[in-house]
Amino acid sequence: MADDVRRWSDELARDPASLVFLPLGETLRRQGQLDLALKIAVRGLERHSHNPDAHDLLARIAVDRGELQRAFDEWDMVLRLTPEHVGALKGMAFVRFQQGNSPDAEQYLQRAAERNGGGDAEVTAALANMRAAVRGARDAGRGPRENGAHSDSRTSPPAPRIPLSTSRALFADILGEHEQTALLLDDQGFVLAGIYVDGDGNDVGDEVGAELSGVTDAARRATRHLDIGEWKAIVLETEVAVVTMAPSTGDGLLVVAASKATPLGLVRRVLDRCLERARQWLEAGR
Amino acid sequence: MSSPFAAVLASLTRQRGVRASLVVDENDGIVVDSNLQIGQDGDRVAALAASLYRKARLSAGAAHLGTATFMQLEAERGRICAAGRNDLVLVVVADPAANIGMIRVEMIKAAGGLP
Repeated sequence: MADDVRRWSDELARDPASLVFLPLGETLRRQGQLDLALKIAVRGLERHSHNPDAHDLLARIAVDRGELQRAFDEWDMVLRLTPEHVGALKGMAFVRFQQGNSPDAEQYLQRAAERNGGGDAEVTAALANMRAAVRGARDAGRGPRENGAHSDSRTSPPAPRIPLSTSRALFADILGEHEQTALLLDDQGFVLAGIYVDGDGNDVGDEVGAELSGVTDAARRATRHLDIGEWKAIVLETEVAVVTMAPSTGDGLLVVAASKATPLGLVRRVLDRCLERARQWLEAGR
Repeated sequence: MSSPFAAVLASLTRQRGVRASLVVDENDGIVVDSNLQIGQDGDRVAALAASLYRKARLSAGAAHLGTATFMQLEAERGRICAAGRNDLVLVVVADPAANIGMIRVEMIKAAGGLP
């Protein structure tokens, strides 16, 4: 096993885009080296942001670190990318159960069982165990909590109109398995949809959105004073990335970023497709 | 006496659809040198383009996207392109139909030669 870790580490050093970060991160997780595993997974996710296995790995590491909601969000992303992913369904069931939300947990397990045609003994057993636990809790006069982990409605956030995962993965199929990312911002620079993961694995969409949306004010001012009509797009090339921005429905802003290696024309096409997706999504009331 | 930028600016302005080319101080938006077609207000273009480029550059840095090398603003009736080095920004204002690919290549090459 130590040889494997060394071999994979060497390969990753030679080729940072290699997918060996998946077995390497998983092995480190199993060895309890969670910080290192997290670092490996996050670096991998940077280059393979739409790889479901990478999100799955990060979710498992997050569970081991006790970061249940982060794990849930990652598995939710897996499910958006691969709706049949049984591992993600089981993971989400586990998180929801741990959070005291047995009805949701049961639903996820049920879906996992259906995906496998009832042939997954682990899922069947988990479903039976959970139902038994729920019955026991009811018998003891402690009914399962409804609609989330909190029974106190004062502290329970209202159910969002859209699941977080739906908005986060809005552009996933357009972006594909490439080093691209897309954010839809509202007129205040707040993220409406999309995701932007930085080198440390944090979703920095809010920060990126706030910074880049400021550019549009300068763009409006310039086009107005120069009398060249409304601005349609901004392309910003940096040392490491190509960023395109365009106004979206309702004074919003769509930002598509790609690695420097991505041809400019391709980024523009992706921007156009994301704009159309955002328009449909917004007009459908999200 | 011609400035060190005259040849570069003349070359850019010869590109199809280019209305103006300027070298601007990014910090204060003041024109260092320019090559303008009739009717173009160099001072206004310089101030606005420098402000836009500066904002884009700072935003890209804050967003951890690295140093900005080229920016293009596309509007209904024109385009503004900018490429910077140190405190100087090379700015081009062009028609929508201009060959922006060619202009971009020329600008990036020229920006590399800015002091």
